[in-house]
Amino acid sequence: MMSELGFLGIAEASDLLRAKKLSPVELTKALLERIDRLDKNYNAFIAVTPEAALAAARQAEAEIAAGRWRGPFHGIPYALKDIIDVAGLPTTAHSKLLQGNVATEDAPVGARLKAAGGVLLGKLSTHEFAIGGPSFDLPWPPARNPWNRDYFAGGSSSGSGAGLAAGLFPAALGTDTGGSVRNPASQCGITGMKATYGRVSRRGLLPLAFSLDHVGPMTRDVRDNALMLQVIAGHDPGDPASADEPVPDYTASLGDGAKGLRVGVIRQFYAKDIAAHPEMAAAVEAAVRCFAEAGAEIRELNLPPLQDFSACGQVIMLAEAYAVHERWLKERPEDYGARGRERLLAGAALRAADYIQAVRWRLQLRDAAAAAFRDIDLALTVSSHDPACRIDDDAALAATYSRQARMAFNITGQPALVIPAGFAASGMPLSVQLVGRPFTEAVLYRAAAAYEAATGWSKRHPAGLAG
Amino acid sequence: MTTASLREMAHALGLDRLTDAHLAQFEHTLEIVAQHVRRLPRDLPPAQEMALIFRAKGPA
Repeated sequence: MMSELGFLGIAEASDLLRAKKLSPVELTKALLERIDRLDKNYNAFIAVTPEAALAAARQAEAEIAAGRWRGPFHGIPYALKDIIDVAGLPTTAHSKLLQGNVATEDAPVGARLKAAGGVLLGKLSTHEFAIGGPSFDLPWPPARNPWNRDYFAGGSSSGSGAGLAAGLFPAALGTDTGGSVRNPASQCGITGMKATYGRVSRRGLLPLAFSLDHVGPMTRDVRDNALMLQVIAGHDPGDPASADEPVPDYTASLGDGAKGLRVGVIRQFYAKDIAAHPEMAAAVEAAVRCFAEAGAEIRELNLPPLQDFSACGQVIMLAEAYAVHERWLKERPEDYGARGRERLLAGAALRAADYIQAVRWRLQLRDAAAAAFRDIDLALTVSSHDPACRIDDDAALAATYSRQARMAFNITGQPALVIPAGFAASGMPLSVQLVGRPFTEAVLYRAAAAYEAATGWSKRHPAGLAG
Repeated sequence: MTTASLREMAHALGLDRLTDAHLAQFEHTLEIVAQHVRRLPRDLPPAQEMALIFRAKGPA
């Protein structure tokens, strides 16, 4: 039984746990054994916390046995990107600068998962401070892609993506400032949601750029992602950007299919503004056909050029990030990894006027997107323009910062979901991005579930790891 | 830019501990950020607001 539990999802595991056909302790032990055996190949974890995990699993087991089932996340193992605070554990941001930085409080997102009965397995690799990576000059090695460990796992939530693809846990949290949930989802063939800005509390995470930062659920399939967002979504009065909007049932319409949905295709992002790799473009076009065959109404959707969103987002992100890092860059520049230091130094030379122009432009870009989305339910486009590159290909890695269509929706704050969409000839995953109007995550989950059911891509696992 | 001019620029920004290798990184990243800055519009309407909101805090 132990070896069969690696790719058990939240929904399936929850049914077994609730029916007492599986124990949270058995599930947790099985995953800890997989982590011990496999993670040396993928470096998904910065820190594993087996004693605390087993204690939480035993508590869940006792509560479920006593009939006190808390909900679908009760007894479910998960892990957190190591920029999210957990009381008593270091939050390192994968950086030498924060080794030994022990958090005193749980971030509200982690507290919600804990209160739902989740079992924390440990903290996960990230690009340094969620911006610079992959790096080989940090205290911990970079995560590697389970589809081929010589390939990039995406970032910055790289450990989250790698661990899910390797079957080390069924659920993880990542963060997304310019695409850092959706990039590893694309590269590792898993499912990642950047919900609407304000939908999920950002409090208790090490900020990269306050006005662009999001926390997002990462899972292997759509239903699990909806179940995890259900736990973490909601108003946090302690987060000034938190939205006081009602939280719907994200699983309610998962079986409703795509018939009747009005689907815009943002083809310009991958055919005109920046030409995508042919296999990635073909995967998105195949998804468009899949939705059409399922009865969705397809139409072309035009937005401002992708490069406008990118420029606006990069100026805002680099300026805000520099404000966070200025002191460390002045006092301890040698303690950053090369990639993190280079990316963060960029903000030093930005003028106040540049930042403010970008912040003013942002509203115009947001309004243009809102107008374009007025008469559709969701849009399809690429996430990454290319399948994963080799982890040692510096030129291809540098290109990943611009060859993506994710920052656009950090700028607008719209929800955006990335799901698997096949495989390239290299064997690496392909993906498609679904984008909705603000606070319509349930629509994205409905559409994604229909696509997933029609294609089955999320059922594929890396060779040698299945079971 | 020469290393000396980069060092002068870094000094003006308070970045006095950057090594020559760090300064080379700084030069490279300045080129990238300049491309983004060049794309920013300079003709926004004067009344165009910022996507940042300040709210005065009322009595608790």
